[in-house]
Amino acid sequence: MTDADRFAGRFLIPGGLWLLIFFAIPFVIVIALSFGTPGELGGAVYGWYPENYSRAFDPIFVPVLARSVGYAVATVALCLLLGYPVAYYIALFGGRRKHLLIALVVLPFFVNYLVRTYAWAALLSDEGIVNGALGLNEPIRFLNTPWAVIGGLVYGYLAFMILPVYAALDRMDPALIEAGKDLYGSNWSTFWHVTWPTTFQGVLAGTVLVFLPAVGDFVSAQLLGGPGTYMVGNLIQQQFFGAENWPFGAALTVLMMAFLFVWMVLYLRSAARAAREATA
Amino acid sequence: MTRNLFDEPMRRRELLQGGAGLALALGLAGCGVGEEGATSDKKQTERVVKAEPDGDLVYFNWSQYMEPKLIKAFEKRYGVKVRESNFDSMQGMMAKLRSGNRYDVIFPSSEWVDRLRKANQLLRIDPEQVPNASTVYDYFAKPWYDPQADHTIPYALYATGIIYRKDKVEMTGSWNDIGLDTARGRAYLLDDYQEVLGAGNLVNGAELNETDEAAVAKAKQWALDLKPTLRGFSTEDVTNMVNGNAWVHHGWNGDVVNIRNQVKRPENYSFVKCSEGIPLGTDCFAIPANAEHPGTALTFINFILDPENASKNIEYMGYPMPYEGPDATFAALVKDDPEIDVTIEDLENGQQFANLGAAGRRTWDRAWTEIKAA
Amino acid sequence: MRWLRVYLGVFFLFLFAPILLVVVFSFNSQRSLQNFDGLSLEWYRAFFENESLRGSLIASLQIAVVTMLIGTLLGTLLAFGLVRARTRWAGTANVLMLVPLVTPEIVAGVSAFLLFTQVGMQLSLATITLAHITFSISYVTVVVRARLAALNPEVEQAAMDLGATRLETLRLVVLPALWPAVLAAALLVFALSFDDFVLSFFTTGESPQPLPVRIWSAIRFGVTPTINAIGTLMLAISAIAIALAVALPRLLGRRESGLGVLLGRDEA
Repeated sequence: MTDADRFAGRFLIPGGLWLLIFFAIPFVIVIALSFGTPGELGGAVYGWYPENYSRAFDPIFVPVLARSVGYAVATVALCLLLGYPVAYYIALFGGRRKHLLIALVVLPFFVNYLVRTYAWAALLSDEGIVNGALGLNEPIRFLNTPWAVIGGLVYGYLAFMILPVYAALDRMDPALIEAGKDLYGSNWSTFWHVTWPTTFQGVLAGTVLVFLPAVGDFVSAQLLGGPGTYMVGNLIQQQFFGAENWPFGAALTVLMMAFLFVWMVLYLRSAARAAREATA
Repeated sequence: MTRNLFDEPMRRRELLQGGAGLALALGLAGCGVGEEGATSDKKQTERVVKAEPDGDLVYFNWSQYMEPKLIKAFEKRYGVKVRESNFDSMQGMMAKLRSGNRYDVIFPSSEWVDRLRKANQLLRIDPEQVPNASTVYDYFAKPWYDPQADHTIPYALYATGIIYRKDKVEMTGSWNDIGLDTARGRAYLLDDYQEVLGAGNLVNGAELNETDEAAVAKAKQWALDLKPTLRGFSTEDVTNMVNGNAWVHHGWNGDVVNIRNQVKRPENYSFVKCSEGIPLGTDCFAIPANAEHPGTALTFINFILDPENASKNIEYMGYPMPYEGPDATFAALVKDDPEIDVTIEDLENGQQFANLGAAGRRTWDRAWTEIKAA
Repeated sequence: MRWLRVYLGVFFLFLFAPILLVVVFSFNSQRSLQNFDGLSLEWYRAFFENESLRGSLIASLQIAVVTMLIGTLLGTLLAFGLVRARTRWAGTANVLMLVPLVTPEIVAGVSAFLLFTQVGMQLSLATITLAHITFSISYVTVVVRARLAALNPEVEQAAMDLGATRLETLRLVVLPALWPAVLAAALLVFALSFDDFVLSFFTTGESPQPLPVRIWSAIRFGVTPTINAIGTLMLAISAIAIALAVALPRLLGRRESGLGVLLGRDEA
């Protein structure tokens, strides 16, 4: 370890220590609490009650977990489908207005997530503007359905897909596309054989940034969903602020993190491999 | 950017660190470190407090459950601010209390009063500090949940039933009306485990507070069977009825009055008490033991119970306040609509939610989580 | 690529529809969210006259500023360490830094909530700030690190050859080259903290509560159009923060814009 390394190494301490105390250690507490049991007035008593975990695998909760993953997958797919073309156009055809356009795309995401979601609820409600414009006899029930929730999730996390994809597209050498067109002829072939593989890491980053938070989201389901759209985030929130079962909520949190951790690790490995290959 | 991430030495180190963390967690678990502050020292509840403003009031109540004009009038009269927060269920209230937030006045219902009082979480109230409460009905000199009547002051009586749109649905007077075909997709159950499981128990002929596993399972099934026809679970019965989302809503009697005050056609909104059984209860003023401004709280309670103010309040929220004097206002309201009436006789003969005890509560809790998750 | 352009147009329409709804109806003189009945500043007035909401706005701003200052500081230091230190700890720190980025907010909220309640800390603005800082460090690190990695080490080497100490080199060579990234990261953190809901929801005390938590209560308990006014105000404040992040470097003589920095472009 050189002098430079030692010098720089010290800089790791403040941030690292903070994260250790306020991020890593709380996880330990969550794990410890997940083995506890609810106290008399709702808090928790530590102890050894692993049944919190076996209860989490009770068949009645499996649909909730499956649903959360399902919604998140749908969200990622839609974000990719809707967002990639936008990023593509702006990166390749935006010209001098590139930055303005991408800023415009990102701007709505600085309206508070709650306000945005509630605005959609207002737009789509039975007495809302959309139904008003359609003018039908029986208003279409947009809200309180799974698609409303997915729509809310897509709208909430779209920027997390567009930005990494845009960054990847922007970084790409346009000469590659030219060469690709010469080689493959059609636009689609070029896209599939040249553009897509080159931007794949960006797509992967976007996927991770959308999928992981979406699984744990509870705001969309709460504001746009119905009784049948309960997600694992709602379940966890309910354990803390509804039912008084913090330990069960903690167990669910641990399980969810474990599930997501797997995907996180897979992604990091893929990114590391790609980085190695890029500099090889 | 992510080089060296998965170098072998790193793996081992992280594993070690992870292992240490886990050991710490299990160690804590094994030691059975106890819960903090569940039942606190009785001394704190015995503080002597006078009814004079000692700071802003931190007020925690259901939404739309007190005339807002009264709150403004209180602020003006005593020169203090009222900081209002709302809860949407008793459990929600308990969760906030449990996480250490400090309130000055809260509004628990009777069975929760029992729980809080036994855990020494409520401040003792000297009746002399609240002279306007002296006109309370005799029943409340020794209520079951507060035998000495020294930790709470009654706020309102309520009954649970179904609020419905007369112009849209025909009711048969049963709890099963929530699942009526004509109201499909426009029905709500209360987002409250006691109300839902209680109703489930009543529908199946059991006692309101039955905690036997088999009975609770049947109650749970009733709710699960209803779920496909529901639009949601919500305690915002006033809001949902007013904006037309609900035609049939599991709800509380007085809310019908509140709804009628807000809609264009009040005659379309009505309330029905169900034949299988009617849950009843009392909501009370209470002051948490750790309140920062109990003096203001006492002043506030006395202010609201002033006969003129109480009458105004009844007109706004539609619930009877059990005090001689203001009760005339309620009688006037009820004259045209006996359905919303709740009397002391009802309380004495009817079924009230009881404190289920830890084990019973756990059974209900699990059933409720399963209802919400399915 | 005509269809792509059409698609972009439709896309922007859907993207901005709810935003427009919020902004336009914040000036509605009626309570309704369907009928626009004439311009009025009534809801803004209601917001500013409401002492409790004003308190929440100030609370949100306070939290955001403190989070910005401390988070940026910690994140920048961490970025430097991650890029320059070839030690074994760097790898661990890297993972520790990346995990918060992909942790669902509810997990973050639950952990923070349990930490504070189990340790006996009363929930308050301080607890919210502590939680916000924790989750902002990673954003700063990622942004600053990208810029740091792209710096030409030869300039620093030259400075040291000329007799500067490491610390002086840091101050006189690295920081000046780095500051657009730091600024961009700082303003990003400000906007994120100001807008944050889930984390604040779990760690908030009773009063004052930050604006997004107030919005949640308002939505749950009977909406008033004041929410639209609040939303528009928050949009304005966040937009200003982002605009500053993008424009300041340009204005102050740099070639690249803050946006490029945020997106990790390798311009030096």
